[in-house]
Amino acid sequence: MHTKEVPNIADEPNTLADVGPRLRRYAAIVGGVALALALISGLFIGDGGKYLLHSYLTSYCFFLSLSLGGLFFVAVQHASRAGWSVSVRRIAEILGGNLPLMALLALPILVPVLLGNGHLYPWVDRAYLDAHPVVAQKTAWLNGWSFAGRCAVYFAIWALMARFFLNGSTKQDEQGGTELTLRMERWSPLALILFALTITCASVDLVMSLSPEWFSTIFGVYYFSGSTVGALATIIVVACLLQRAGRLTHAITVEHYHELGKLLFAFVVFWGYIAFSQYMLIWYANIPEETRYYLARQTGGAGAVVGPWAYVSLLLVAGHLLIPFVGLLSRHVKRNRKLLVGWAVWLLVFHWVDMYWLVMPSLGRPGLPFGFTDVFCILGLGGAYVAGTLWIAGDRRWIAVKDPRMSEALVFENT
Amino acid sequence: MNHDRPSVPETPQVVAGLLAEFDRPETLVAAAARVKAAGYRTWDCHSPFPVHGIDPAMGIRPTILPWLVVGAGTAGVLVALVMQWWTNAVDYPLNISGKPLFSLPANIPVTFELLILFSALTAFLGALALNGLPFFSNPIFSNPRFRRVTNDRFFVSISAADPAFGEEATRAFLQSLDGVAVVEPFHRPAAPPKIPAAFHIAGALAVCMACFPPLLIAYARATKSAKPRIHVWPDMDSQAKYQTQTAHPLFPDRRSMRAGVPGTVAVGRLNADERLYEGKDGEQWVTSVPVEIDAERMRRGKERYEIYCAPCHGLSGEGDGIMAQRALEREEPWVRRSLVDDYAVKLPVGSIFNTIRHGKNTMLPYGAQVPPADRWAIVLYVKALQRAQNATIDDVPEELRDKLQ
Amino acid sequence: MSDLAIRADDNTGNDPLRRAPLALGGQTYASVTETVCAVAEREGTTRAWRIAFAVSATLTLAFFASIGYLIVTGVGVWGNTNPVYWAFPIVNFVFWIGIGHAGTLISAILFLFRQKWRTSINRFAEAMTIFAVMCAGIFPGIHVGRVWLAYWLAPYPNQMLLWPNFRSPLLWDVFAVSTYATVSAMFWYLGMVPDLATLRDRAKTPIRRTLYGLFALGWHGSARQWHRYERAYLLLAALAAPLVLSVHSVVSFDFAVSQVPGWHTTIFPPYFVAGAIFSGFAMVVTLMVPARAFFGLKNLVTVRHLENMNKIILLTSLIVGYAYGTELFISWYSGSTYERFAFFNRAFGPLGWGYGLMVLCNVLVPQLFWFKKCRTTPWIMLVVAVLVNVGMWFERFVIIVGSLSRDYLPSSWGHYVPTAIDLLMLVGSFGLFFTLFLLFCRYLPMVAIAEVKPVLPVTKPADETA
Repeated sequence: MHTKEVPNIADEPNTLADVGPRLRRYAAIVGGVALALALISGLFIGDGGKYLLHSYLTSYCFFLSLSLGGLFFVAVQHASRAGWSVSVRRIAEILGGNLPLMALLALPILVPVLLGNGHLYPWVDRAYLDAHPVVAQKTAWLNGWSFAGRCAVYFAIWALMARFFLNGSTKQDEQGGTELTLRMERWSPLALILFALTITCASVDLVMSLSPEWFSTIFGVYYFSGSTVGALATIIVVACLLQRAGRLTHAITVEHYHELGKLLFAFVVFWGYIAFSQYMLIWYANIPEETRYYLARQTGGAGAVVGPWAYVSLLLVAGHLLIPFVGLLSRHVKRNRKLLVGWAVWLLVFHWVDMYWLVMPSLGRPGLPFGFTDVFCILGLGGAYVAGTLWIAGDRRWIAVKDPRMSEALVFENT
Repeated sequence: MNHDRPSVPETPQVVAGLLAEFDRPETLVAAAARVKAAGYRTWDCHSPFPVHGIDPAMGIRPTILPWLVVGAGTAGVLVALVMQWWTNAVDYPLNISGKPLFSLPANIPVTFELLILFSALTAFLGALALNGLPFFSNPIFSNPRFRRVTNDRFFVSISAADPAFGEEATRAFLQSLDGVAVVEPFHRPAAPPKIPAAFHIAGALAVCMACFPPLLIAYARATKSAKPRIHVWPDMDSQAKYQTQTAHPLFPDRRSMRAGVPGTVAVGRLNADERLYEGKDGEQWVTSVPVEIDAERMRRGKERYEIYCAPCHGLSGEGDGIMAQRALEREEPWVRRSLVDDYAVKLPVGSIFNTIRHGKNTMLPYGAQVPPADRWAIVLYVKALQRAQNATIDDVPEELRDKLQ
Repeated sequence: MSDLAIRADDNTGNDPLRRAPLALGGQTYASVTETVCAVAEREGTTRAWRIAFAVSATLTLAFFASIGYLIVTGVGVWGNTNPVYWAFPIVNFVFWIGIGHAGTLISAILFLFRQKWRTSINRFAEAMTIFAVMCAGIFPGIHVGRVWLAYWLAPYPNQMLLWPNFRSPLLWDVFAVSTYATVSAMFWYLGMVPDLATLRDRAKTPIRRTLYGLFALGWHGSARQWHRYERAYLLLAALAAPLVLSVHSVVSFDFAVSQVPGWHTTIFPPYFVAGAIFSGFAMVVTLMVPARAFFGLKNLVTVRHLENMNKIILLTSLIVGYAYGTELFISWYSGSTYERFAFFNRAFGPLGWGYGLMVLCNVLVPQLFWFKKCRTTPWIMLVVAVLVNVGMWFERFVIIVGSLSRDYLPSSWGHYVPTAIDLLMLVGSFGLFFTLFLLFCRYLPMVAIAEVKPVLPVTKPADETA
């Protein structure tokens, strides 16, 4: 039986106070310029902003899912009294801290709905409702003010929870002690319940209602599974970037990457399981009102049964499940920082493809929609997201230095 | 732990190795490092539970078991996919509600299960095989103190077969280890016991017998047989009735299959009235309905028409029923058959009656579902539809003409 | 904050600075061996055991008698009829398979999450899994009608030149449940080999020595053997975890692939899995609370272990409640008359009492576990656990019978009435389960001795963490 020596991390650099403001500025500029270009490019298409809105929503859902996944990670670690994750938890807390910014970035989605513009959500349109009585039946839920009101509630709850965990944890950096840990642990189950309810309703509202005649009870779980994959991948990438910048050198060890890699693998499989369940059940029963959704993601809109979207669907299965499954299986890969980060980036790309696959077919145009607008939206929202993250991080430490379970995390070893 | 065990057997015993006993896991690990450093190769540590840190101390290399499992899992996936493809799509194609013969979404669950099954069997059996288990005659059990290894004691065992082994030297070395409680030998029989020839013969016999079933199956698949198939459960094979093409003892010609007695008719099936039951008058179709025509019959005809005929021929008789609409929606071949066009108007009623009874082209016969009286009622209604669809303004009653103008 | 302290006699405290000890009473390796083996090595049986065994054996006989009656007479002895063609037998099947899932979860998934507290309960729970799967497997076996032809389900070359239909969820079930039974049995047995060796080495009679010795395979605790053993254990755990998710998902597919309203919802797979874990843990608690008292295991299966299980029961209760809520909402959202009616009927139709019972037992009652007092008091958790199992049986009943008795065509609606044989088989299956379980308790090591020893406080040095 050997005992590991606990490394002293009190003195190693763990904030980005020096480079943060500058990086933030760059990111904000990139973000702002790209969003402006996206707007121009979108208007150029000349469809009244329909393409732009869809493209924006795609990237928006991507970045939102990273923050939501981070929030979930934090709540679960507190609820399960985990020790190993203490040194990486702050990264997830900061990601979650971006949720108020995401509320602001949701305005381009909400305002058109409130103004009666049905380009993104068809159910806003009076004429559409008249032509689709099934959707008209749900007007109590699917109407502009109800929609916006609910979104306000989601963001309020998320912002509150994110602030609670981030501020609680940050306060502990000064205070130490165990009361804050116990307090966060006590509230984490409620946070998880609220999280489950809000992410389900939010994904139904923001994404599922793009096809207002379609419905799937597992949809909330599907979005959730993708968001955890995205968040875990982001935590891995951020941890690596911090360590490359000379921070947290001893606080995050190969054991942490291994553990995060295991969780990433597990959630990739979980995503595959949920995606398969949804697909296979709808395929098997073959009920047209349900299969229409998948047919749109299989055809190119020209009436043929198999079209360009089929390739995207197959690519998603291969890239989001099959290839990473094989890649992340080996213990060796999970313990090699470079390889693991490579897979994390791969999965972030395919998580975006997942969002694209969810949102863009509602455009209803033949062929595969991808162009400058999409690139600008990714860069724009990405820049804003990075800037927001750095702003939230500010002077904070990127590690919960005085967490009572820190020594556990630092000597943590995978079996 | 005092047990009554059989005393040491009579056969000559030889020292098979030495055991060093410890009572704490940490001392075992330290000892292991020293034994390895001393250059011993055929030795082992024993503990009641896996001791943390002993693998590196002993220099145990990672086992190949995970690789075996990955290989088995891959084999499981391939076996499952090929099995499902070959059985359901090639050898005996099964059309299940129009799903593709090889439907990957439906074939995933079995594939996944076989992946797990093959992998797990390999993990379990592989672990046992690599561990050399079962092995009941391990000489190490000859030392009674060793029984505590499954309780609360830890041991180092060095085999006498190790090149560096020397009974005195090794004993001294073991006694010098930190925390050692006792050092004792364990024994094995001087001459290894011989397996009786009977076991070899029985084993060979078992292998031969095991080859029979697959060979029998292969033989049966490759050849033809005049005998009926083997029934494990002869459930309904012998039924108390005479089957077709079997002998019947009662009849002189001994045939089970009998023709109907000439000139007989089943009760209630005389159907003598050709006009009523077949719509025919000699060689011609009847041209007038041979049943009483009244409002009641017309109502009946309408009701029956809407049940049996309207799905294809439409409520108005124009051939635009929901079947036709659906076929149009699905862009499938469909022949629209109007009952009110010029051709149909000219048909004798007997012909229409006959079509209802026997069907025509792709229309299936409705004789079984629609009794003769109802068939005539439907014919009546069809004529009414024909009248309606080909009406002129003069057919409309006076009172209602203004509404149409 | 006084309830947070971890005391020598009570490890239910919550102190972030240290992990609670997982065994109480100053256990040593020898004392653990003694505590667990004493039960199996006892001469004769206790009166309590004999009474329990007599009751369960009688029920088992009744079970097999009713199966015999069924085979001789036919499936008409059940209440299954148009339109409720699936009723008690399949409800019982899903019920028992679900219960089995907790054992694999404790063994495999908690192992993967490095939850050391599982070591005191995993053997017990795995045994429960094996017996639950046995009880479960009987029902599909007998409900095929001609039970003697059940082998037709297997893909073997036959003279009819036929193959089974691999596109059917019922066949997926055959593969899933068989794989699950096999893998669970292997996992259970592999884990038991070192403990059987312990019993072998302590055996006083030749019969015991031979039998335990035979099944111990000659295990001698070699470090090299432990190395492969541990790798195999990890691999089996990593395989069993997705397996347990897949098995109950495949069982849910039996219903979800259909077009029946109330059955065809995409959330069924994870919902059923969560429900299975829920009922399984409840059954483990139901068995463990009396067992630890009767067999003197209180210092190894401490209140903390029970509390942790109760927390998982609470968690899965919330997940199941989430699924109920989602189904209700989406059935309204769908706008489909049939979907809306299916759920309206569930709550307010003739089986509404079952629905109410289900919601009460599955969602409301487990909320008691928010309170530490309820989580740590054995009699309360026993009551909650039993009610949870009642609720979960009714959940399957409400889903299966409810949806079948009233689906698309009102003219096809019917009312289901169970027969005495249906009820007898349900009760009888409990008899079989408890009989096997009592035999397990009597002859086999109930606690994984070789797994508990490494997590004892005496093994860990002062600053090594859990």
